[in-house]
Amino acid sequence: MEKKLAAYICSGCGIGDALNIEELVALTTGDLKVPVCRTHANLCSQEGAALIKQDIEKEGANALIIAACSPRVMYDVFNFENCIVDRVNLREQVAWSQPAGDENTQMMAADYLRMSAAKVGAMDLPVPYKPEKEMSKTILVVGGGLAGMTSAVEASKAGYQVVLVEKEPELGGFQKKVGQIATFPYKDVVENPLNDLIKEVTSSPKIKVYTGAKVEKTVGGPGVFEVSIKQNGTTAQENIGAIVLAAGWQPYDPTKLDKKLGFGASPNVITNTMFEERYLKGKVSRPSDGQGVSKAAFLQCAGSRDPQYLPYCSTVCCNTSLKQALKIKAENPEADVYVIFKEMRTPGQAEDLYRKAQEEGVIFIRCQSPEVKVEGGKVAVEALDELLGETVSLDGLDLVVLATGMVPVTAFGPDISKEVKQEEKTEDKKEEELLVPPDIIRRSEILNLEYRQGPEVPALKYDFPDSHFICFPYETRRTGIYAAGCSHRPMGIGSTKEDGAGAAMKAIQCIELTWRGAAVHPRAGDLTFPEFAMQRCTQCKRCTVECPFGAINEDEKANPLPQPTRCRRCGVCMGACPERIISFKNYSVGMIGNMIKAIEVPAEEDEKPRIVVLACENDAYPALDMAGLRRMNYAPWYRVIPLRCLGSMNLVWIADSLSKGIDGILLLGCKHGDDYQCHFIKGSELSSIRLSKVSETLNRLALESDRVRFEMVSIIDYEKLPALLNEFAEKLQEIGPNPFKGW
Amino acid sequence: MSIKVDPNLVKDLEHFGLKDAKKCFHCGNCTAVCPLSTAENSFPRRFHKYIQMGLTEKIMKSPEPWLCYYCGDCSTTCPRGADPGETMMVMRRWLTSKYDWTGFSRKFYTSEIFEIVAVTIVGILVGLALILFRAGHPDMEHAFLNTVWPAPAIEIADLIMAAVLTFFLLSNTARCAWFVMGDLLFKIPPALYLAKAQELVIHFFTQKRFGQCTDRKQWIIHLLIMTGYSTIFLMVVVFLAGGIHVIGLSWKPIMFQRDVVGDYAIWHPMRLFGYYATAALLYATTYAIIGRLRKSKAPYQNSHGTDWMFLILLELTTLTGILINFTRLLDWPMPTYVLYVVHLMIAVPMLILEVPFAKWAHLTFRPVVLFLTAVKEEYMKEKKMFA
Repeated sequence: MEKKLAAYICSGCGIGDALNIEELVALTTGDLKVPVCRTHANLCSQEGAALIKQDIEKEGANALIIAACSPRVMYDVFNFENCIVDRVNLREQVAWSQPAGDENTQMMAADYLRMSAAKVGAMDLPVPYKPEKEMSKTILVVGGGLAGMTSAVEASKAGYQVVLVEKEPELGGFQKKVGQIATFPYKDVVENPLNDLIKEVTSSPKIKVYTGAKVEKTVGGPGVFEVSIKQNGTTAQENIGAIVLAAGWQPYDPTKLDKKLGFGASPNVITNTMFEERYLKGKVSRPSDGQGVSKAAFLQCAGSRDPQYLPYCSTVCCNTSLKQALKIKAENPEADVYVIFKEMRTPGQAEDLYRKAQEEGVIFIRCQSPEVKVEGGKVAVEALDELLGETVSLDGLDLVVLATGMVPVTAFGPDISKEVKQEEKTEDKKEEELLVPPDIIRRSEILNLEYRQGPEVPALKYDFPDSHFICFPYETRRTGIYAAGCSHRPMGIGSTKEDGAGAAMKAIQCIELTWRGAAVHPRAGDLTFPEFAMQRCTQCKRCTVECPFGAINEDEKANPLPQPTRCRRCGVCMGACPERIISFKNYSVGMIGNMIKAIEVPAEEDEKPRIVVLACENDAYPALDMAGLRRMNYAPWYRVIPLRCLGSMNLVWIADSLSKGIDGILLLGCKHGDDYQCHFIKGSELSSIRLSKVSETLNRLALESDRVRFEMVSIIDYEKLPALLNEFAEKLQEIGPNPFKGW
Repeated sequence: MSIKVDPNLVKDLEHFGLKDAKKCFHCGNCTAVCPLSTAENSFPRRFHKYIQMGLTEKIMKSPEPWLCYYCGDCSTTCPRGADPGETMMVMRRWLTSKYDWTGFSRKFYTSEIFEIVAVTIVGILVGLALILFRAGHPDMEHAFLNTVWPAPAIEIADLIMAAVLTFFLLSNTARCAWFVMGDLLFKIPPALYLAKAQELVIHFFTQKRFGQCTDRKQWIIHLLIMTGYSTIFLMVVVFLAGGIHVIGLSWKPIMFQRDVVGDYAIWHPMRLFGYYATAALLYATTYAIIGRLRKSKAPYQNSHGTDWMFLILLELTTLTGILINFTRLLDWPMPTYVLYVVHLMIAVPMLILEVPFAKWAHLTFRPVVLFLTAVKEEYMKEKKMFA
């Protein structure tokens, strides 16, 4: 495509008051050689947009520099088909955050125009990715329990073909073992309507059910998954668009519990899941001799919320115990039923179930550490009642039920990161240069992915394959695979149904966007994808190792085999590649390099330092905008370059900046660690690891490593930003100007 | 020593009017908001736990139910609708029946039929007695009560009744003291009891703790009923014949039961006391009845059978008393005599049944417990000082 440049400078919203617009026009049409440059007092108005459209239609302009407000606003107005568009943020990050009419403010605006011209010069229109293989729109649901079946039914109702794989000979999952349920609106215990759902699944022409089957192998990526399903010794092949992982959970192994909870000491000490199975069809009875139960105790958090056993709350055990206590009370209203709890957790309307249990006369005892005593076949519980301050002893119990928690099926099997380490030991130690924290991936034999990074989806916490639950619901860290139900996180029936439907919706989104050649999430709709100049690849494996989403496979010679439909377009591979062979049509190492080089660096005696900010466009860049919105001023030496993810930062940019005479570089990335905010999970962490290597580069250039700084900024930190920026500027002034200035 | 749980207590307390205590989840808002609860004697939250766990012994030993005057702040504040104020009330009913060694109180509280039948039987007996034991020649020209039931004779009956009531009430109160204090009752030196004796008197006459409640109106209503009733009680029992006539300690100018109303000038203390008592009782009892009918505030939300029985008998006693006054002013002999019988048929059962066995019993339980609590606190303080 032959680029025809055109630039538009808006003077509205205070830009015209802060800057000399004529000078900027002169720069654009002069030095920057943009043939057309127009100004408008209100570029985002209908007339303003019409002005641009006119140029596109009449003059054939197709590479547009729009110098106005932040790219985060008015994106719908400045959206022109088949045009390269770059937005120059003259409003939030210049006019609103710098003093009006100042020489430095003017220089900042001029630099941003230069950088934009350089950027547009390096950009190309994206060409959507189309896999060679024909794409499928079928959704694979792994797991035929409540979550899986709901997902399958919801997807089929939306018009999609579904393949449902269940490892047991029958559909139903754990709910098959549950006779009565307590769910929204929690007014009463009701019969389990599971069979209706099973009927709906089996009678749907759109759902193909494999029972007693297993996913043997999953190859490919969204749109082009090839899944081998093994059933009765034969293997079927299915072409799949997206996957819902609803493989369920296992009860926490009661034999691992603290001995003082008494499991195994008497047949009358059982777990909540044993209760469900045992009394599925009949009345509650004493396990030892089948006699009636007139005195029973439920011990909550059996092993749960205890770092030694199961560190988290499974959210349903309290409700389950209430339900089971009510069953005992319903069968024998005279029975004494005790619930011994650390904290009762009956979220939302489940509180009504608790009220009902209170009404029925269930006695609640708050105790952190109850003890089950078994003597001569008699079971007793001793509990220090915290509200009473005294020990309560419950003698002659017919039944003790331990409320154990849920463990996702993804938690079983060896962790491959441990295996890798052993391999590495035998190899040359130097290979492990980057201390990238490995993902926890267990060989749980659920999806058996043929992915370079491991056969299953990585765990976020406690072996649940989740992502940040607010920002990225249902997203596992493998594009096109969405977790639902109790393998997603512990949940009750109501949430599971919602979760099944939600995951089905995500799978549909994934399929539709993939068919358009667009990124799924979080850069939904992005039509670019990473392209590899393979002839220069050195097989260093860094892209294949560092991709947070395991999107790149490897051939036996360690050549990367990118799977663009799995890609989330964060550019982490681009940042990782030491040979700089990975680029996007509108985002590349060269492009950012050119932008840095376009910054005009004043001579040393002018005492005008220049600092490049490489800012994550998801959190740090909006935080800078917010600071501007609040009219917070900061040092005028900064030049901000937004990055897709700080993980796409290539170290060469630091070398580029410093060798050009830029005095300092500030990297603004998202929070990483346990409560990570990174859209691409590990990007910010990876860039900080890479930066630790940068001191070498600086030393080579005989420069102080203080010139480069990494800061974690979340969007709500905008208030702290100006102080941070000013402090870094002062620090750089102390260090003195970059000795490479003017070279 | 570990605690045994008894789920049957809740069921038992339900007979005494317990309704919502099961709903408590022990947040403690009730105790936090209560102006009378202290660190040493904290309530009501603790008692919900005792009730839910069935800790009979602990409740029996507790003075706290008597430290509560039921202003209802706790019930208004309770986020669960567990009505802690009513729970405290229920415990007072239950404790009254526990203190009562005759077992009569329990029946009275737990069966409305028993309650109504008991009141009716005593009423009929009183009526029959009055008809049987009347003077030979009643004055049918003028409404002269003394010609039918001479004051000295009625006074003897009054004194016998007072003695019996006092015996039951004091024996029950002694049990109350024993339960609340345990061994300490005799361990504490008598001097300490004497030193704190003024507490007993002050609480008996003023209920000043009630004044610390947020809703002071309830205190005023309670004071009106208490003072109104005490005044009239003294006039009827002690001054009916102008003093204790049997032992010759009487003075005619202050005799309550006279034949001619106009005997006394309008400013005569007997008339002024009488009007005060009538007005106080009429206002306060009517206020309480309307309050309970409308459920106008937390303490009036739930009404046990004995609450109604008490208020109705008191209101009827007051009204018949007023009517007798009118018929005497009009000098209608027959209506006066009939109303007199009716008046006593209502007033006497109220006293006989309620003072030792039901609601009225708190007239000694509460001040005594407050007194004992003060004594105990003092004792503990001294013990701590010497220790």
